[in-house]
Amino acid sequence: MPGFRDLLPAEAEVLREAQESLLAEMRRWGYRHVITPLVEGMDVLQLGLGGEQRRRLFKFADGRGEVVALVGERTVPVARLVAGKLRAAPLPLRLCYSGPVLSTDAGRFQQRRETYQVGAELIGAPGPVADAEVIALAARCLEAAGIRRYQVDVGHAEFFHGIMDAVKLPAEVKAAVRAALAARDFVALEALLERTPLRSAEHELLLRFPALRGGPEILEAAGGLVRNRRSELALAELGQVRELLVTHGLGGVVNLDLGALRDFDYYTGVIFEGYGPELGRPVAQGGRYDGLLARFGRPAPATGFMVQLDLVAEMLTHASRPPALPRLDAAIAWSGDGLGTALRLGATLRLFGMRAVVDTESRGSGEARAWWHAVGAVNLIHCRGESTVSWTPRGSRMRRLPPEQVAGRLAAGLS
Amino acid sequence: MKTHQRVSIAIPTGALLSGALKVLARAGVARLNAGELGRQLLVDRSGLRVILVRPADVPAYVDHGAADLGIVGKDILWETPGSHYELVDLRFGGCRLVLAVPDASRLDGPETWPPLFRVATKYPHTAAMWFEAQGHAAELVRLHGSVELAPQVGLVDGIVDLTATGRTLSENGLRIAAVLGESTARLIANQASLKTRTDAVQSVVSRLREAVNDAR
Repeated sequence: MPGFRDLLPAEAEVLREAQESLLAEMRRWGYRHVITPLVEGMDVLQLGLGGEQRRRLFKFADGRGEVVALVGERTVPVARLVAGKLRAAPLPLRLCYSGPVLSTDAGRFQQRRETYQVGAELIGAPGPVADAEVIALAARCLEAAGIRRYQVDVGHAEFFHGIMDAVKLPAEVKAAVRAALAARDFVALEALLERTPLRSAEHELLLRFPALRGGPEILEAAGGLVRNRRSELALAELGQVRELLVTHGLGGVVNLDLGALRDFDYYTGVIFEGYGPELGRPVAQGGRYDGLLARFGRPAPATGFMVQLDLVAEMLTHASRPPALPRLDAAIAWSGDGLGTALRLGATLRLFGMRAVVDTESRGSGEARAWWHAVGAVNLIHCRGESTVSWTPRGSRMRRLPPEQVAGRLAAGLS
Repeated sequence: MKTHQRVSIAIPTGALLSGALKVLARAGVARLNAGELGRQLLVDRSGLRVILVRPADVPAYVDHGAADLGIVGKDILWETPGSHYELVDLRFGGCRLVLAVPDASRLDGPETWPPLFRVATKYPHTAAMWFEAQGHAAELVRLHGSVELAPQVGLVDGIVDLTATGRTLSENGLRIAAVLGESTARLIANQASLKTRTDAVQSVVSRLREAVNDAR
């Protein structure tokens, strides 16, 4: 089926390992794991998603005729949970999740309709300290997953809202400006603004704000351009978040990006994106969405982010030094009455945290070597009786030793 | 973030190639001749990597980040919207996407159209969006070339196609019934390149923008 695919061990194990690292980092920051269903009622999703997101849902009717859908993101289900089953839980709540999300739209080049997301939400905490916590967590998550070089771009949705409030344009031109920005079409944006007779500071700003990126100096540059309260407050908040991120030890990876273009109907405050090397798309994204929880009947400020797990895995497997897949330590073959020894030896090695496979049938030494190569283990151990076994480390000669000595030497990392 | 700081740009074969090379030279970004590029497809010159690809493939190279920048006709962007940024109207390669019908046809404004307009086109997505905006039903036949032929042999009532001078249309006994849009060459950029390699990419963008503004 186009857009869906199997992940074989080389990919699946990297992805699973990255997922574990991300969730472990989130737990270290006090985020509790929740699992929400793959299917949600349309009545729930309708409350939280925009029209375009709703269009891309896999929808169907369940046995009772209710319209349900496969989730396309997992923040809305978490919001439902916080306003529902967790409504007695005191805020702020720190929650994290992991799972597949689905889209009917395969995307033009990626051809993926099922992707994997790991995310964290901090619900019930307003202000820069919470914003900075979530951004710092996202950055540390990328590090924990093994991405060494990355950067985080931080912007503010209110900066743009302030400009749009203040700019003097007819309503239909404003709508066209939003549409052009949503399509990242700056040619159309320029053409729209050129045709309007009224020129103001905000006009100039609309043309220039997408290029307002960089260090703390751009806050000053932008401050000199804006003439509206909403944008000024956004700049002040952004400055505080930046300072907090420096204290978090992340000054070197944080950029300010006032031109960050995101879903402005959803985000209400600080927004951010994480970029890794050599990938044309953001690998993590998030921000403040103070309006969502109210739609479920429990008004609360909230911020969070999600990491595109499949992009992380892709980045890791394409790195110049891809992560070493955990190797299989021992292939344990047996013949004659060696099965008991083989099973006991396998159990012992696993107790020491090694990966061991015990053969399912009796084999002679030639066949055992062929099986060993097929399995791809580092050591072959052939058990023929109880007292001694034949042990062959890859690239070395065969030795006969008592099984407990082999186990001891393997556990000690000797060969 | 990238290990190399070289900026790469994908430029299209075909009608826009000479204009693209001219604007790159005028901006002082790179001097290349079409013959050299045609033989090698990939040329590294003064810190810039130029990749020659088919016009419809330019967005793929840019969206995936295989090229930081791309030069591509707006007609291609209508047909295949992606995640890139559209930065500069390069103001060459001007042409129009039009609805054309046979000279002899009585078809003109929407009120004269048949209830189901049969249209041949290389731009099914753009044509479908336009007919939908007109509130008119259309059956689109996707063709890959010689679209002008389709109405003459009775395959369709009209065509949606690109025209610069209108000559090919009139030579095939077709006239323009409506203009869907005006297209020129555009500079597009990968979303991550703009953020992770801002200075190197922005410098090329600014030089191209200035070259276009100077020529106005």
